[in-house]
Amino acid sequence: MRGLEAGSLAFGIYFLLQAAVFHSVKVSRRALVLGGLWVAGLPIYGWLYTALPDDQAVWPAPLAAPSDFVTFLCGALLYFFFFMGYAQFFYMAESSVGVRTMIELASEPEKGLTLEELTQRYGYDWMLDRRLRRLIHAGYLIEEDGWYRTTVRGRLAAALLSQCKRLLRLGPGG
Amino acid sequence: MLKGLVLAIGFFVLFLVIHVLLFRLRVPERRFRAMVRIAFALGLVLVAAHRATSSEMGVLPPAYTTAGWAVDLLNSLLVYTFLFVGYSMFYFLIDRGFSGRIMIEIEADPNNRLRQSEIAARYSIEMVLRRRLNEMLEIGRITETGGCYRNTEKGRSAATMFAFVKRFLQLGEGG
Repeated sequence: MRGLEAGSLAFGIYFLLQAAVFHSVKVSRRALVLGGLWVAGLPIYGWLYTALPDDQAVWPAPLAAPSDFVTFLCGALLYFFFFMGYAQFFYMAESSVGVRTMIELASEPEKGLTLEELTQRYGYDWMLDRRLRRLIHAGYLIEEDGWYRTTVRGRLAAALLSQCKRLLRLGPGG
Repeated sequence: MLKGLVLAIGFFVLFLVIHVLLFRLRVPERRFRAMVRIAFALGLVLVAAHRATSSEMGVLPPAYTTAGWAVDLLNSLLVYTFLFVGYSMFYFLIDRGFSGRIMIEIEADPNNRLRQSEIAARYSIEMVLRRRLNEMLEIGRITETGGCYRNTEKGRSAATMFAFVKRFLQLGEGG
């Protein structure tokens, strides 16, 4: 339990810290801040693990694990997995078209909105431009005189995604 | 703790195999629900396998298999669950990723280049919204009457929660 406790506590601290940062500062490079804070939390995980008592001293036998490398690794994995799960939630809140649609619909609870009205509320140019800028910033695309091309990295990503789509028969998607 | 880790990874690989085979043979109508059901069923088998096998499973080093059974099982289920959550992220990126679709469209062009207006023409906002609306209708977050979409109670709760998160974390309108 020592590893799991340390991993959970470290993530709890990370969660509060990133919430405080994002609430108090308007962050433009969000992925960098999310990932950077997580990395900064790794020593905190190590410190928490060291500070917690051995399982044998506090937990009954079925819940006690030796304080070895595997226990330490499992706690670190939990810290990582919590972060991945939270990142999924964060980006759903940030970028999901579905979430934005529900929020738009919430502004007209009685009347509702038609597809045309939703389309008007959505600035598609803005939405597309935002994605393109991100892809350029991440090194997947380059832009020359208004033309967008994939970089080597972008080509590899596109090929991987296409292969996976074909393998799982998912259609064009997006 | 090693037995739990090995079983979690093993059952996750088994999940991947079944998931790919199922999607290859017959794409389920509600794909993600099918994935959750497979993962859940395998999770139950994982618990049974954990209880039915010895802590060393005949091959693991005894030095790393001395943890109590309950903490080992808990750890195993956590790792298995989070591997599934992580894979779901990847799955949604493949299935719904807008940015991925942009790169694929550019690659599909004979000259491997597109202008923003051409991307918009190949994948219009109507297509994007229609797909999301259909998915949300399927999972009961919205309803549609006479061409008008409205949130259900479930959709309203989700919208309120996400609107709060967006405001609190200063994420902007997004979408």
